[in-house]
Amino acid sequence: MSLSRRELLTEAAALLVAQWAGAHGVAESAPSISDRKVVLVTCGGMRREDTFASSGFANIPHLTQDLLPQSVFYPFLRNDGVTSHFNTISSVLSGNWQRVDDWGKTPPQSPTIYEYLRKAMGLDRNQTWFISSNKALTSQIGSSIVPGYGPNYGPNVIFPKQLLISAVVQAANQGRPVQSTDRSAVQSDIEGFLNSDNYDGLGWSVGGESSSLDSFTLGTMRQAIEDLVRTSAPATGDEFTYLVAAEVLQRFAPSMLAITFSDMEVAHFGSYSLHLSGIATMDRLVYELWSLLQSMPAYRGKTTLFILPEFGRDLDGASTNGFFNHRQNADSTRLTWMMCLGDAIRTAQIIESPVLQTDICPTIARLFDLGSLGLPGHPLPGLCL
Amino acid sequence: MTNYAQEILISDAGADERATYRKLIRQMPLTLRPELNSELAEWETLFPFERSRIREFMRGVQSFTPSTLAALTEPLRKLEQTMGVDRWDFSEETNTLENASLLARSAYYVEWRKEVQRIYLSIVNAAHSSEPPSASLSRIVVVVLPQNLPYVHAGLWDKWGGKGVEVSIHGDPGRVTELLLRGMPSVPELLRQKNGYEPSDLWLIDAEQTLTSVFPNHVDAFSINCPELQPLRERVLERVNTIPKNIVVSDATLASIRKTNWDAWWPNNLAGQPSLRRFVIDLYLSGNGALVFSNAFVQWASSEAIRRARPRVLFARFGIRAKPKPFTSIAIFENQSLVSTLPDVPDPQGSAVDASILARYIFLSVERYPESQQTAFLCLSESARSAYLIFPKAYKGNTAIANAARPEQIADWMTGFLAKS
Repeated sequence: MSLSRRELLTEAAALLVAQWAGAHGVAESAPSISDRKVVLVTCGGMRREDTFASSGFANIPHLTQDLLPQSVFYPFLRNDGVTSHFNTISSVLSGNWQRVDDWGKTPPQSPTIYEYLRKAMGLDRNQTWFISSNKALTSQIGSSIVPGYGPNYGPNVIFPKQLLISAVVQAANQGRPVQSTDRSAVQSDIEGFLNSDNYDGLGWSVGGESSSLDSFTLGTMRQAIEDLVRTSAPATGDEFTYLVAAEVLQRFAPSMLAITFSDMEVAHFGSYSLHLSGIATMDRLVYELWSLLQSMPAYRGKTTLFILPEFGRDLDGASTNGFFNHRQNADSTRLTWMMCLGDAIRTAQIIESPVLQTDICPTIARLFDLGSLGLPGHPLPGLCL
Repeated sequence: MTNYAQEILISDAGADERATYRKLIRQMPLTLRPELNSELAEWETLFPFERSRIREFMRGVQSFTPSTLAALTEPLRKLEQTMGVDRWDFSEETNTLENASLLARSAYYVEWRKEVQRIYLSIVNAAHSSEPPSASLSRIVVVVLPQNLPYVHAGLWDKWGGKGVEVSIHGDPGRVTELLLRGMPSVPELLRQKNGYEPSDLWLIDAEQTLTSVFPNHVDAFSINCPELQPLRERVLERVNTIPKNIVVSDATLASIRKTNWDAWWPNNLAGQPSLRRFVIDLYLSGNGALVFSNAFVQWASSEAIRRARPRVLFARFGIRAKPKPFTSIAIFENQSLVSTLPDVPDPQGSAVDASILARYIFLSVERYPESQQTAFLCLSESARSAYLIFPKAYKGNTAIANAARPEQIADWMTGFLAKS
């Protein structure tokens, strides 16, 4: 099933109107540029029928009931690039459609928002982070090879889920099955891998050239591991990614943080129920993230949060096997949605006009007053920039 | 001896034929060659339908004069130049991940696909003009959602778009499959009565071993099930998990897995079935969860069997998977029994959600091909005691099946339909 543009809009509008009465307050005046923060959350492939449609609302209760009424919502966000993970996320970060190696061998061919920000604002690397669940990415995602920019202006890039997976796999390879009945026993497995300083194997890039973590960053990871072991929530890759991101927010208060969630990508293995469960986890974590940001003085009233799927998934009946994949040149795969919350919002509204994923980078650039970057996209309508 | 066995024995006689085909392939644009070359390289293990499709395609190519073929393919050659294919590390001999990746990330990918489809259609149409396709035979597909998957009748078939009729089953729903496979007349019997019957006409694909227990004959059918394939699956999974994040190494590893002698791990019933063995390895290496979840295996195997073999009859039976385990579930592609000491806990609800959409995907696979015009599709939910029967679009016969029926009546209708051609 695919929803028509009108049906989707009607359903989203009905939700918005019904809940508008209870809408939360919005920032009255903009903070200074130097105080501004941006958190960008991209999620793996999710079809609109499983999210912002009457058939999908049940999977995203927090997005539809708690966050939509205070957001600017774009029901027609389009991915016109290569619908693979590395290319899509690097296109969002760079504002140019990237067509590089899908497996992350090649960096983006144009500068990312991290490079623009760090170069123009003189931000320290610890002020810019990229934290991802997605194992299709590599540390190349953060910065280009464009002269005058490049890795020296890149962010810290970490893949917490990869740490978790590597710990599990290493334990198994050594003939030590993970004692998953006992959460505290898992902690030593994960920490053991964290201390093995083989971050190249994880594809990380933290703190520049060194492959070892400084004690502050190591402490951040350890705290996140402890939180994961203590939490009663399902021990998923996205849960751990969220906990690491929360620690980074609390310890470093970065100006620009991008997080990618990917539990829903279990769809590649053909379990629709686990795919929906991944969407529900993302919904809960995004809400927790927003609540966390509102509880932190460094972020409350200063932060714009962007939430978007990277793409949809293929149509039922497609030769690419429907929801399993995201390769089809069809609206089901290319047309998705985006929600913006926080500092840049003055009036909650639905922006019906189509927007592109490459519009996000110039929007963030405008939020930080970077001036014209000569990007092909345009700042998003409906935001106070 | 079946036609298929005869064809295997005389396959050497086809060497000249294949040499001719190779010459024709060299006349085609570069990006069309890997698919055709890889099929020729696997000629010995192609299904009869795949061979007839290649022959048809080559007949179509031969029906063009050199100048008309050049004119037909010229736009694609120009597009390949624009795309820079000659500068790519593009394999002409076989389909690779790198080929697929290079094409998919080209800015001209959509245009390229359109051109390929245009050329393919023109060639196939030319083949049909020179030799019209023979009349199709009636076919049936039976999909079973077994008793241990919990469904309720209400709303069960809502997502099937009203394409079929709901039938309440009065009696033991498991009897329908039994009657079809062992009744009088049985489906295998009906197939054997036709000239040219061969094993790839009848497929049994099972997440468990129920179909095998009902119809243990492995000579007259292509029968695969997850429990019997488990030792092989685990070994292939081990190898697949060694693939690093590097597309060139991945292609090399996949090629090596294909060449590996897996004799020690094949179940006995696949002895002497080289086509089916190749099919299983292809399935495991083509993703889509076939190496991970049994229900994904059933769906993907069914869809691929329909695409590649166009069987007269296909039975697909889903099953139950275990719940993901804490922590180890993040490494879902690992062997869960090795990485976690926790016992497996069945997940009937989740499995039911999975099987429900995957059953529909099998129907959608059927719908994609012309043979759907002669295919009756039956999906049985044993726990809801409900069947959903989709008549072929072109069917003019008796569609007056009651909305409540005994298993015998349902089986009679299906065998009656199959016997008509």
